[in-house]
Amino acid sequence: MPPSCDDSQDDRVLHSQSPLRVLIVEDEALPAMLLQGYLEDAGHEVIGWATTADEARELCLQRAPDLAFVDLHLADGLTGVTVAREICGANHAVVFVTANSRMLPDDFAGAIGCIGKPYSMNGIQRALEYLAEGMRHPPPRCLRPSSLTLAPQFERRWR
Amino acid sequence: MESKEAWQTTGDPHVEHARDDPFAAVVRATRMPMLITDPRRDDNPVIFANDAFLQLTGYTRGEVTGRNCRFLQGPLTDQATVDEIRDAIATSADIKVDILNYRKDGSTYWNALHISPVLDDAGEAVYYFASQLDITERVEAQQRIEEQKESFEREVERRTRELQVVLEDRERANVELHDAVRAKSLLVNEVDHRVKNNLQMIASLIVMQSRNVADPEARKSLLAMLERVEALGAVHRRLYRSNDMSRFDLAEFSKDLARDLLRASNKPQVRLEFDLEHVEVPTEGAAPIALMVNELVTNSLKHAFVENQPGTITLGVKHVDGNFVITVEDDGVGMGRSGKGGCAGHDAKDGRAHPASFGTLLVEALGKQVRATTQWHAANPGTRVEIRWPHAMRPQ
Repeated sequence: MPPSCDDSQDDRVLHSQSPLRVLIVEDEALPAMLLQGYLEDAGHEVIGWATTADEARELCLQRAPDLAFVDLHLADGLTGVTVAREICGANHAVVFVTANSRMLPDDFAGAIGCIGKPYSMNGIQRALEYLAEGMRHPPPRCLRPSSLTLAPQFERRWR
Repeated sequence: MESKEAWQTTGDPHVEHARDDPFAAVVRATRMPMLITDPRRDDNPVIFANDAFLQLTGYTRGEVTGRNCRFLQGPLTDQATVDEIRDAIATSADIKVDILNYRKDGSTYWNALHISPVLDDAGEAVYYFASQLDITERVEAQQRIEEQKESFEREVERRTRELQVVLEDRERANVELHDAVRAKSLLVNEVDHRVKNNLQMIASLIVMQSRNVADPEARKSLLAMLERVEALGAVHRRLYRSNDMSRFDLAEFSKDLARDLLRASNKPQVRLEFDLEHVEVPTEGAAPIALMVNELVTNSLKHAFVENQPGTITLGVKHVDGNFVITVEDDGVGMGRSGKGGCAGHDAKDGRAHPASFGTLLVEALGKQVRATTQWHAANPGTRVEIRWPHAMRPQ
């Protein structure tokens, strides 16, 4: 089960080493492929790649990912924040991956945090480790890497 | 023998007919100009004018007596005031007006005119008594004040209009400036976004290519390239995060970059030490300097510590004597000999097997671009590299 994005609920803990089932929501092919590569290297399963908000909704319904990586800018416009809020509302975790983090709302639309583009290999790998730990055994024990900015509500919960 | 009406044709208070009448004497002698008219005669003529009146108007008694008072009017006399007087006389009413009158010589004066009817027992007007007062000075003073007031008001109005125009111009300029700043900020945002996305795409291409390359040397080469692209990416992430986009915080950046490189190197036995001061460089210098730091730290990480040899890399970013100085020092395997201001290369004999490597060439060339001198020293043990350039750095 994915951890809840709702502050009122406790984190639900994933099985210790089971791979995370991840949805990539990204309009551009290369970054999507790159992220998929890093996720698979880290032992996670990419259950789909959506380029629009509608595709993301569809895949969430069908495949129930543990975690979705969402870009702000999608093929149907600046729909990343809206769809992220919906995905969080449906009890899936979200992390933004964007070159435009200034446009994020203050509450991160319920997401765990944001990874800024362009990220480095080390930056993304460490962010994935940290996130996996946070979702499996919250709060994460490893140090938060500078590549990942946490949303205020997760800053408190994962302190 | 005096005629019965002799009093009407003289100003002399001793004229017989009215000699015993103190009131008549007063009217004759007062300094206030006075007229008496007889409404029962045709056209209400003047039947008496005192000396003061004659003095005021310049007429003789003979010229005045028997005429209607309208001879005192002239072209600039206000018709409405004249009508008022006529109406008052028609209804035997009292009236008090200021009117512009004319003297015999054509000159004008302002007359504070007070006309009262003298009624008989039947209530009919038998005389009209007109007292007059030359108030020219007062009226003119009043008019001057009015004119000054008007001219002052006009001036205030003109200045206000001018000020309004200025304010409107300024308001418009503000709106335009605001729009321009907004447009610029949107544009910068968009360009920044694209630069970052493209750097991510380039990194993606390199990573994916490296996954499909079997030759370990080629793969290493691609990953070294990836690190350089990532260093540029780090510059851009940091650039746009700061509020002042014209300056770049070199110390903080170098610290983050070195940490990132160490973690990526898979050499947990190597420690990083920092000797940092707050150093800001102009933005245009950020990318070349970032690449130089990347090359030097990477070089130490890759070549200074063979196998699992522990060691320390010390990164310094400081101001020294009007120069920016970056030092990267390790206590690992030295390069065998020291070189000055140039690419010493690394001898295969002492483990630094990259003579005139691409990385070293890059440091030299970028150093030249930012007018820096680069010195390589053998530090015994290890190597110390110093990049130094004057504060007034002008990238070409």
